[in-house]
Formats: sequence, structure tokens, C-alpha cells
Amino acid sequence: MNCCEFREKYSEYADGLLTPPSKAEADVHLALCAACRRFDLALRAGVNMLRELPAVSVSRGFGPALRRRLRDELAVRIPGVIRWSGAVGTLLIVATAGFIGWDWLETRAAHRGAAAEWASSSPGWVAVPPSVANAAAVPDLPTALPRLRIETFHPLNSILVIEPAPPASGQDRVRFDVPAVWGGP
Amino acid sequence: MTLAMKDGLHGPHQTLGAPFAALDDGQVVQAFLEGNDRAFDELVSRYQVRLLNFVYRTVGDRERAEDLVQEVFIRIYRHLHRFDQTKKFSTWAYTIASNLAKNELRNRSRNPLVLFQTIKRHWEADHRPLQFEDSSSRPDDLFRKRHLRELVEQSVSQLPEHHRVVFVLRELEGKTYEEIAEITGCNLGTVKSRLNRARNNFAAIIQPHLD
Repeated sequence: MNCCEFREKYSEYADGLLTPPSKAEADVHLALCAACRRFDLALRAGVNMLRELPAVSVSRGFGPALRRRLRDELAVRIPGVIRWSGAVGTLLIVATAGFIGWDWLETRAAHRGAAAEWASSSPGWVAVPPSVANAAAVPDLPTALPRLRIETFHPLNSILVIEPAPPASGQDRVRFDVPAVWGGP
Repeated sequence: MTLAMKDGLHGPHQTLGAPFAALDDGQVVQAFLEGNDRAFDELVSRYQVRLLNFVYRTVGDRERAEDLVQEVFIRIYRHLHRFDQTKKFSTWAYTIASNLAKNELRNRSRNPLVLFQTIKRHWEADHRPLQFEDSSSRPDDLFRKRHLRELVEQSVSQLPEHHRVVFVLRELEGKTYEEIAEITGCNLGTVKSRLNRARNNFAAIIQPHLD
């Protein structure tokens, strides 16, 4: 074994991983070669010094800092599922509220339209189909509006006249929704 | 967060962690996975110094090493449920630490400011007054001893990154070749070759100062 071969196998030699014949060759080379002996001694001495270096220990701030970071981690991780389910729940609530709100607004708009129509035609008139001969025949006519009456008749249109004085109950006004089948004035 | 997490990791942890003292790492990991957060304190207690020394010897910056070790524990906490319990916990922890240390060295080589700060910190350490840790020794012996220590530390830091990790794992952490292969993600042949080169380089750096 020459120096080059010894250095190539040095690690395994130092760790006792060489086969017995290879180890015997390395032992012989080391006994005969002063340069490799110096190399071996330098490495062992250096490693020993390295091992004797005082171990660094964690600073006082290490524990609290780690706890803080772990708390942050928990805040991100564990409520993550809750937060997702919360987000989905919130979305559902918003969607439901939106739907109800939209429906309410539509109904309200329809009522407002009816009320506005009532107001604009009070006293006024709306056209009704010729089939409407009297108030009783008007479809969906609110019974709370007895003051509706058929004023005039026309071959094509009957005129539904609304009394100048609106009904006492505001609710009745709102409920009065002119059916679309009646058409406009 | 448990009481252990509130009070643990230092001081009060020692009493809280006592029931885990008889358990091996795998059993402590199992306890944590079963919901006992105090078990995590035990893992921190067992590994914080070992990992800190490993990372410190690899990156050469104590403060940064602490940050990285904290990151190791955060990752352990985050991924422990995915840890293959047929493997050794220590190998897994060292793998995470090794990867973070390697990333740190790569980032540092790309970022001149970080490199400068590290050099500056070492420069400041070099200009500290000499500390006489052994009053029975002569000052010139102490000086030589300190000089050699610094030289040894510098010799390690001069090794190429992938040689340094293997060298520290073998010489300071006492890991087997198989463990080093698992930690570094290399095959056994690569580990042997890197370790041999690292030892040769280390000896070449230090030998002139010891002759």
C-alpha cells in the first residue's frame, strides 16, 4: 500500500471498517510512512480538540421564543379547520341572508309598486279586461278593499275606479297588488 | 396549548417531563401523537442542545443556529403526525436540521450582507479579551490552547458544505455511515467518499499548526 492508497482508505481504516487483510496492509504502511503517521496524528489530535470544545447551550431566550413560535403555529394550524368550516358557514349564512333579503326586497318593491300605483291612481283608474263586469269578478281582489267599484264599461276595457279616499288601513293599500293580467292604463 | 407548553421547555418542564424520562424517543413521539403535548417538551429537552451544536458547527453562527433549531422544532411539531415511526426519531430530527443548515449556507453564499455579518461577528469574537479559564496554566499555554481551538473551528468552517455536514455528523455527533446516508439523503458510497475527503482536508489544514 502506498500513501495515495492509504489516504483513500483512511476513513474506513480510522473507523475500523476495513477487511482484516486491508487493515493489516494499512497498519504496515502507517508503521513505515512518517508522513502518513503525521497525517493520522494530526487528524486524531484535531478531532479530539474539536470534541473538547465547550458545547454551546441554548440561550435563555430560546425556550420563550420557541413557545411563542409554537403558539403561532397552533393558531395557524388547529383553528385552520375551524376557520375553514367557519368560512363555509359564514358563506352559507351570507347566501341565505342574501336570498331572504333579495326575496324581501322584491316583495317590498312589488308592494311599493302596488302602493305607488294605488297612490298614482287615487282617485284614478286601471284598465281591466272586458270580462271584468264587477268588483266581485276581479281576480285576487282584496276583500279589504270594498271601495273598488266598476265605474264604466267599454267594449274593450272596463274602467276600475278607485275611490278618492284610500282605505283606512295602510296595510290594505300595500296588499293591493294590481294583477298583471289587468294590464296598465 | 397545554400547561406544559405554557411552563415547559425550561425550568418547570423538568418536573413535568419526568414521567417521560424512562421512555425512548419512539414512545415519547407516540405519547405526543396521542394528544399529550407535554411529550413535545420532552423531545425539545432531549434534542435542543444536540441539534444546536450540530447546526452551530455546520453554520458557524450561534444566534442563527438557535433560530434554525427553533425552526427544526416547529417543523417537527408540524409534521410529526407524518413521521414514519419505524424509523429513528433522532435521524429524522437531524435530517431536518441538516437540510436547514445546508439551505442557510447556500443562502449565505448568495447573500453578501449575511456573509459580512457572520464575518463581523467572528471578528468581534476574535477581539474579546483573553479569558483565563484555567488559572493553573501559564498564559502563553492558554493562548496557544485558545489559538488551536479557534484554528480547529476555522478548519471545520473551511470545509465545503457537503463535506462539513458529513464530517460533523461523524466526528461530533457519532452517527454511523448508514445514519449519515439517511440524514443527508446520499448513498453509502457517497458518504464514505465525502467523509474521507473531509478528513483529508481537515488534516491538511490543521497539520501545519500541530507539527
